[in-house]
Amino acid sequence: MTDNVAMIVRLRGTARAWVWAVLLFDLFVLVVWAASGGGSFWPIWVWLPTGLAVASAWWAGAAPTRFARQAGEAVLVSLFLIGIWAAAGGGSFWPVWPIAVLALGMGLQAVTRRAKSEERVEELTQSRAGAVEAAESQLRRIERDLHDGAQARLVALGMNLGLAEQQLGKDPEKAQAHLTEARAAAAAALQELRDLARGIHPPILADRGLEAAIGALATHSGVPVTVHVELSGRPPETVETAAYFVAAEGLANALKHAHASRIDIDVHEREDAIAVRVLDDGRGGAAESSGGLHGLRQRVEALDGSLRIASPDGGPTVIEAVLPCVR
Amino acid sequence: MRAVIAEDLALLRDGLTRLLRDNEIEVVDAVGDGDALVLAVLRERPDIAIVDIRMPPTFRDEGLRAALALRERVPETAILIISQYVEGTYARELLADGRGGVGYLLKDRVMDVDAFVEAVRRVADGGTALDPEVVAHFVGRKDRLADLTPRETEVLALMAEGRSNAGIAESLVLTVGAVEKHVASILQKLRLPPSQETHRRVLAVLAYLDSGP
Repeated sequence: MTDNVAMIVRLRGTARAWVWAVLLFDLFVLVVWAASGGGSFWPIWVWLPTGLAVASAWWAGAAPTRFARQAGEAVLVSLFLIGIWAAAGGGSFWPVWPIAVLALGMGLQAVTRRAKSEERVEELTQSRAGAVEAAESQLRRIERDLHDGAQARLVALGMNLGLAEQQLGKDPEKAQAHLTEARAAAAAALQELRDLARGIHPPILADRGLEAAIGALATHSGVPVTVHVELSGRPPETVETAAYFVAAEGLANALKHAHASRIDIDVHEREDAIAVRVLDDGRGGAAESSGGLHGLRQRVEALDGSLRIASPDGGPTVIEAVLPCVR
Repeated sequence: MRAVIAEDLALLRDGLTRLLRDNEIEVVDAVGDGDALVLAVLRERPDIAIVDIRMPPTFRDEGLRAALALRERVPETAILIISQYVEGTYARELLADGRGGVGYLLKDRVMDVDAFVEAVRRVADGGTALDPEVVAHFVGRKDRLADLTPRETEVLALMAEGRSNAGIAESLVLTVGAVEKHVASILQKLRLPPSQETHRRVLAVLAYLDSGP
């Protein structure tokens, strides 16, 4: 009885009221049977189906997984059949047949489930390794860019200042030339740091979202680019950043390799996902072995998304990513 | 004085060339990778080669490897390594043969033109120049230097940078005589065999670097 109470408490709202109604009805049937003088215990034929309904309603809410729910339902149906068999006075144990079919079904289900989960584990292992590798190579690239870029410019800047200092008393004109170069080196270092920062996470993306950030990419491209972004709100940050880099990498690819004259970038919502598509009218032949697109795939797959690259020789090239996104 | 420069970034290669020329050091060749450096040094036999560590094609320690090879093949050419980062291990490798004529400085040091040119001349003359950053890596790891007094450790750290006794005296506000006494005491405590002064100083520096784990 306490189990029954516990199971009822787990149900909510209308479901709970419905269960109480069923149990009261069962009690009422018992009272009717007793009042009518007993005899053959016919209320069992009411109790069995209502019991099955209540138990499966409870289990549907309590089962931890879909598989557990199905297995539990199979067990309940089996018990129900055995109950009918017992209430009908026993005899040849016919429920063995439907129960065998149910067991076979659940067995098959378990086998395919296992295969599927192994496949999924494999997939996750790969995408995780890919994500780690992508992060690693990005860090290496940033280190290289700093070393050859801003750091070198700052050394040159310091060197020019040192030379200017040395020449100040002796040859003011030469000192002036060194100072001019120093200022140019400082400007170049700032520019490189800005570009690097934008490559890591463009500030406009954080400030204004995808449409503005992709729009900014498009204006700097020098080729007609149409940007169409249709989103009901801002996606989670990781998805937004990945979507931006799909657009950025697709655009860079179209400009650098495809010699495109028109580029379309389209971002729209799908059910629980965001799709980003970059289409160009260039000469095609985009190869994923090129670092950029490979890195992009790793980035997308790390978020459990998928990337499709179609680029036949002669074009056009379509790069499309679908990024799952639970709000 | 004749110098060869190996630096892959044109911006810095040209800058260095100009800096040295402005300071009466003749730059006989300026190259951009390790192989070209070896060829240039074999051909020119300069007094000093100023070498960047990271160069093509591997962009790892290309320059250092070329420099170590040159130490054996052309012992009369001094080596000054310049880099945007310092590694104690690299300093040890450079000093391993116990001879002078090596230096290892951060590229930042070119900003103080006079001090940099002074370091170039010192290394070319068979002295040493270790960046204070390299030396700082080893401060506090002095198990093998346990016998030295704190003052002697300070003196040794400055010796490691390549400073002369006069330079050390100035930096620690001591008399040259006092520094000489400390140096003699250091050399004795490290049980360095009596030989040419420069050689013993390099060995003392090496002991200092080796005292790290």
